[in-house]
Formats: sequence, structure tokens, C-alpha cells
Amino acid sequence: MKGRLLSLILAQLNMNFAISHSRYYYLEKRQRLWEGILIVVSIIMTALVLSFGVYKLACAFYSQAAIINQEALTLTTGILAAQFLMLILGVALVIAVFYFSNDLPVLIPLPLRPWEVLASKFAVILCNEYLGLLVFITPIFVAYGMRADVSLISYALSAIIVFLTLPVIPIAIASILSVILMRVVGFTKRKDILTIIGGFLLTGLIIGVQLYLQTKLPARGDEQEFIMQMLSQANSLVAVMGRQFPPSIWATWAVSEAGTSMGLLSLCLFLGVGAVSFGLFLALGDRFFYQGVLSGFEAPTSRRGALVDKQGRHGFSKRTPLLSLAVTEMKLFSRTPVFVLNGFIGFLMFPVMFVVLLVMGNDPQMAGLWDSLATMPEFHSIGALLVAAYFFMLTAFSGIPFSPFSREGKANIWFLRSQPISGHAAAMGKALAAEIMIVAGAIPGLAVFEYIARLPIASLIIGVSLGIASSCALCIWGVLLDMARPMLDWTDQQRAIKSNLNTVIGMLIGMVALFLIGYLVYVLFRRGYSGLVAQVISGAIIALILGSGLRVLRVAGDKLWSRVEL
Amino acid sequence: MVKAGNACLLKLEGVSKTYRGGSTKAVDSLSLEVRPGEIFGFLGPNGAGKTTTIKMIVGLLMPDNGRIIVDGHDIVKDPVSAKMRMGFVPDDPNLYNRLTGLEYLNLVADIYGVSAAERTRRINDLLSMFDLTSEVKDLIQSYSHGMKQKLALTGALLHNPPLFILDEPMVGLDPRSSRLFKDLMRSHCDQGYAVFFSTHILEVAERLCDRVGIIDKGKLIACGSMDELRKLSNETDESLEDIFLELTLPEEAD
Ligand SMILES: Nc1ncnc2c1ncn2[C@@H]1O[C@H](COP(=O)(O)OP(=O)(O)OP(=O)(O)O)[C@@H](O)[C@H]1O
Ligand SMILES: [Mg+2]
Repeated sequence: MKGRLLSLILAQLNMNFAISHSRYYYLEKRQRLWEGILIVVSIIMTALVLSFGVYKLACAFYSQAAIINQEALTLTTGILAAQFLMLILGVALVIAVFYFSNDLPVLIPLPLRPWEVLASKFAVILCNEYLGLLVFITPIFVAYGMRADVSLISYALSAIIVFLTLPVIPIAIASILSVILMRVVGFTKRKDILTIIGGFLLTGLIIGVQLYLQTKLPARGDEQEFIMQMLSQANSLVAVMGRQFPPSIWATWAVSEAGTSMGLLSLCLFLGVGAVSFGLFLALGDRFFYQGVLSGFEAPTSRRGALVDKQGRHGFSKRTPLLSLAVTEMKLFSRTPVFVLNGFIGFLMFPVMFVVLLVMGNDPQMAGLWDSLATMPEFHSIGALLVAAYFFMLTAFSGIPFSPFSREGKANIWFLRSQPISGHAAAMGKALAAEIMIVAGAIPGLAVFEYIARLPIASLIIGVSLGIASSCALCIWGVLLDMARPMLDWTDQQRAIKSNLNTVIGMLIGMVALFLIGYLVYVLFRRGYSGLVAQVISGAIIALILGSGLRVLRVAGDKLWSRVEL
Repeated sequence: MVKAGNACLLKLEGVSKTYRGGSTKAVDSLSLEVRPGEIFGFLGPNGAGKTTTIKMIVGLLMPDNGRIIVDGHDIVKDPVSAKMRMGFVPDDPNLYNRLTGLEYLNLVADIYGVSAAERTRRINDLLSMFDLTSEVKDLIQSYSHGMKQKLALTGALLHNPPLFILDEPMVGLDPRSSRLFKDLMRSHCDQGYAVFFSTHILEVAERLCDRVGIIDKGKLIACGSMDELRKLSNETDESLEDIFLELTLPEEAD
């Protein structure tokens, strides 16, 4: 007999990776087999290309670090970045998976302890994280192992153990914070909005603590002396870097010193902290998890009394179908905590990054650099192009335009599909809503940027117009992509918006497009063309992408829409 | 609203559907007609193909073969016009949990282009009939199953559609709402409109429907008024239940 926890975990993994589902459709029924193969092959190809890029980067980093005797910094940087990314994105992920899964009404009546349900969901999250780590951490471990003087067996063994433990600490921390948050939110009446605010505050807190720890690095004056001291000692920078998050030092030493007693001790410390944080999370979760979930099942009711508007007021105004669809879409999005936490996180992270830039700009050296940049003849046109790139990045990373039909899910898609709406209108409504949310979300970052850069109003207008146009183009193509292959069958909303293949594809395409246009602009500037030329040319490219998207939508929209079956 | 010269509001001609990857036909060359002023009951055992047929009629599934004409409009070739003439409530109406009832109704009214005055009147009438007025500004999340169903029914009737399509509409309704709803179907048909619904409650079908169709394993095995069905089985005072059980015997029992 399988342990019940194990079979629970296996069932959850099966659902998460749609194993039975894919086997049924692609292997037994052989339908759309080519599509399955194509998807798998292109995922593997993309992963390989990305891994190779990371590997090259790690090798270059290693060579640089070796000059100052700090090779292990290669590992620390990778580990630290991975752990922080998992921690920052962890809050939204954990809240979605633990508290907003469709299967909770099925799981809770089962005779399981809360910690068992939590542990199974935790296992699913870990497995998802491993997929990402496989692409980003493995190449770093390989690069280090090939360059550094290590004994293969013990190095590989430690590397695998560290790899498997890597997500445990950040996800456990995010889980502990989220369980507490959701318990507190559970006491209140307006749970959705407080979940959103709380989730953002927690994420902000995590970023803030990180920034604070960074400023604890040695004071400016002693820099010279500090660096000299560092250089005299092998890999001592690791300790400094790791001060932000001590487990990352242990993870580094566990790998880089594998086979020595120092390595073993570090490994034990790392595993120990992982076990303790996981245990703490289970203990807390066992106590508070169900209370949070159950209170989430209770929707607020107000019974605000009769519908007294005989004059056609109070919301009885008529809108055009397109506008009505877009408004509804925005309401649905903004009232769903998981969507907001995932989709809007970039809207907050970019301004925070700009603020960091601003703080650093106060440094005399940086300020000098900034001044020389700001007096460059082409600074204004470059600034405008940066504004446009900012809009484009936000669109690509938000996931909003790549998942509008997926987000409806199996449960709700019947509604739109059975209404008298053409595919073209449905897509336009979704794209319009996405665009409005993105433009609104871009404003804080734009304000900070403008405060720093002080672009003249004309450049700002050019930048914003180019930005909105490029964002529209991405929205149209994104909505088309999601209409062509919506992912309707999900158990938690996280999968609809962030872990959705369409979102990943959209992000990648967005990055590639941004790189290509950016490179073209760079070449133009190098060849001595004016900023105006660069703007006109990138504007023309954007117009072409937007126009072709609209054209494809007009031609194929209705057909794609009618293919969305359930 | 019904086009003159249209002898029927809904016409299925040789409609078939095999689910993607499925081995058997869920619906097998089905033909039937629903005429103005008629309540049509669609019966059959579990898995017979009722929901599949209804999904094809409302445009949620593409038929493999055959044609479906709604008030003169082909649902495949001209889906928007065909859907404009229908109101539809599925068997398990999952509505947007994070909208209020009123927001949902306004969305539907906007999509169908119902004027502000008209929607005020109809929403007020239907909601007070279903006794849902005091909850309509709450989130749908907080509704019971029956309340969701009543809201879906209200939404589907807002534009007074010539053809009303329902999949097992009586399941979640309490006795009072159920009665009100049956009266509503009758008065809808008295305007010269039609109702097409699937059900397992044979007493309701027997009393309410002008004509019934019985589907089994994707094929229409009987169709007509109660009298016509009785003639089919050569016995004059059989109930619909007897006829149904007789016609849909499982294979082993043959
Ligand atoms: N989404 C689907 N994918 C594959 N096959 C399906 C799907 N939905 C239904 N089927 C199959 O189609 C056939 C008809 O199902 P349908 O839902 O139309 O039956 P029904 O008459 O509505 O039954 P019930 O009275 O139980 O509601 C069944 O054999 C069923 O297995
Ligand atoms: Mg059914």
C-alpha cells in the first residue's frame, strides 16, 4: 500500500503536469499528436538555448572572478539570485496554490490533516521550481565544476543535494509569511482586497529587507582598504555577498568545498535550515491553514435591499458590447487576488528599481556619469526610446495579454462562447482591457523615471506613444495566441496566468523582439543617424507588428474563436 | 421578431458529433424541428447525447456533419446572428463569481444591446418574480446553486429571445420557483416563441411539453406529441415513463 501522503502528492503532480490528460489525448487517442511533440520539442530547444546562455555567462563570470581570487562567487551569485527570485515571486505563488485551488473543496472533506494537504501542495511547488532551476542553476554548477579543481563524485553529489534543497528555504519562508497573512485576512470582511494588499506588502517587505541588507555592506570611505583585505583572502567576497542571506553561503561552500569537512559542515547547515524552516511551516500550517481556507469560502453579502431605480439609473446605463466586455474583464481581473498579485507585480517592481537607481544616482560618481549621459546630444531621443521599451517590458512580463481566455477556465468560458460575440469582438475586448490595465500600471514607474531623467515633454509624448503602440501590438498578438490555444483546464489560477505556456511564449517573444529592435537602434546610433531616425524606424516596425496583428485577428479571429470547444 | 415564413425556430438536419479522439458518435445524424409556440422536451438516458446536442445548438461545439438553423440563421456560418435569437442556460451554470448579480445582468444586456429602459423593466420583473431582488448587488460567489440558476435564467431571458434553450433547468429550483418557471415557459411560447429543454423529470415533460424527442446513444429514437408517442407503442394509456423505459432498454436486455 502506498502511503496516503505519497499518493496524495502523486495525484497532485499528475494534475499539475497534466500527465494522465496528456497521455490520454496525445498517446491513446493520438489526436493533435504533432502539436504535443512540437510543444515538447520547442520547450526543450528553448531551455537548451537559455541554459547555454547561462553557461556562457557563468564561464565569463568565473574568469573575471578568478582574477581576484573569488571563483566561488560564481556559485553564490547564481544561488543568491535564484533564492531571491523564488522568495519574491513565492508569496503570490504560495497564496495561489494553497488558498485558491479548485480542488480544495474536494480535499478538505477528506480525512487528511491540514499539514498533509499543505505538504502535497508544497511538493508540487517544489517540482515546478525545479524545472526553472534546471535551466538556470544547473549550467552554473556545470560551469564551476568544469573550471574549478573539484573531485567529480563528491562535487556532483553535493551539487545535486543543494539543487534539490535550494527552493525549500525560500518557499518555506514565503509559505510561513503567507499562512500568517491569510489567517489575519480571514478575520476580516474584505478578504480579496486585503489579500492583494497583504501579498504586495509581503513582497515589498522581502525586497526591502534585501535592499537594507545590501546597504549594510562596508561604508564608502573604507572601500579601498576593504577591497584590499578581500583580495588577500580567497573567496572572502562570498561571505560578504552571502550576508544578505546566509544559507546562500552554506550552499556555496557545500558545493565548492565538496569533499572537505568544511563542505560537509556547510551542507549540514544548509539542509538543517531547510528542514527547520519546512518543519516550522508545517507546524504553523497545520494550525492555521484550514481556518484561512474556510474563511475564504465565505463571500461577503450585504443584501443592500431593493432595486429602486425605476428611472434607469444605478448601473442601468447602456454600454457598447466592446466597452462592456472590457470593463467586465478589468473588474474580474482586479477582484481576483491571484491575478492581481501575479500580473501587477512588475508594475511595482519596475518603479522600485528606478527608485534604487535614483538612490544610487545620489552617489557623486554615479551622478557624474548621469550628468555626462544627460548632456549627450541624443539623450532625449534615447530617453523616449527607453520609455517605449519600459511599456513593452511591462506588457511582456505581466502575463496579462497572454492569458485572457485561459483565465476564464473550463468553468466560465461557456459564457462568452455562447454569447452573440464574434471572435474579433471577444479578442478586442480582452486586448482593450489588458492595454488599459498595463497603461495604468505603467504610470508609477513612468513618474519615477521622469523625475530622474527630466525628459522634455515632447520626448515624453513620443516615448509614451511609441510605448503604447508597442504594448498594443503585443496585446493583440498575445490575445490571438491565447485564443488559438487557451489553457482552460487548471486547478489553481496561478497556472492560468503565470505557469501558462502562453505567458512563457509571450515573454520570450517579447524579449527577443525588444532585443532585436534595441540592437537595430544601437546600430543606427553607431552609424551616426539622428535620434529621430531611430524613432521613426522603430515606430514603423511597431506599426507593422500592430497592423499585421489586427489584420490576422480580422481574418482568423472568428475561426479561432469557434475552435475553442469545451 | 420571428421571421415570417419560417416554419420552425430551430431545425437540426442530420447533425453528428464525435468528440475529438472519441471512438463512438456522441450524436448520430440527428434531425428535428422546433416550431413557434412550442415547448419541446428532450429526453434520454445518461450519456445519450442531450448536452452534446444542446452545446452544438448554442455554438459551444462544432458539429461534424449536418446543419443547425436557428430562426433562419446557420449557427456555424453566422453564429452571432443565430446566438442573438437564443437564450441559453447550461446544466451547471458557473457564472463569474467575482461579479455582482447586477453587473452580470448588465453585461448580458450590453452584449444583446438591450436598451436601458427595457432592461430596467425586465430585470425588475424577472428578479422580483424569482425573489432575487435583495441579493442582486451581492457577489455571485455568495449565491446558492438555485440562486445562480435563477440569475442565469434571468440573464438568458433579458432580450426576450425567440428560442430559449435549457439543459436540465429544473434541477436546482425549489417547488415555487419551478412552478413560476414553468408558467414563464408557457407564456414565452404564447408569444409565438419556442422553448427547447432537456430533462429527466418525465412527469414535467409529459404535462408541459407540446412535443418530446427521445434520444438514445446519439440517435433520435422517437419524436412527436404525447399522442403520437403512444401510438408508437400501440397502447393508449401508457405514461411517458413507460414509453421511455420501453424504448431505451439497455442492449443486454434485448
Ligand atoms: N467533453 C467531452 N469529451 C469527450 N466525450 C464527451 C464529452 N462530453 C460528453 N462526452 C461523451 O458524449 C456522450 C454524450 O454525452 P452527453 O453529455 O451529451 O450526455 P447527456 O445526454 O447530456 O447525459 P446526462 O443525462 O448524464 O446529462 C457520452 O458518451 C459522453 O461520454
Ligand atoms: Mg447532460
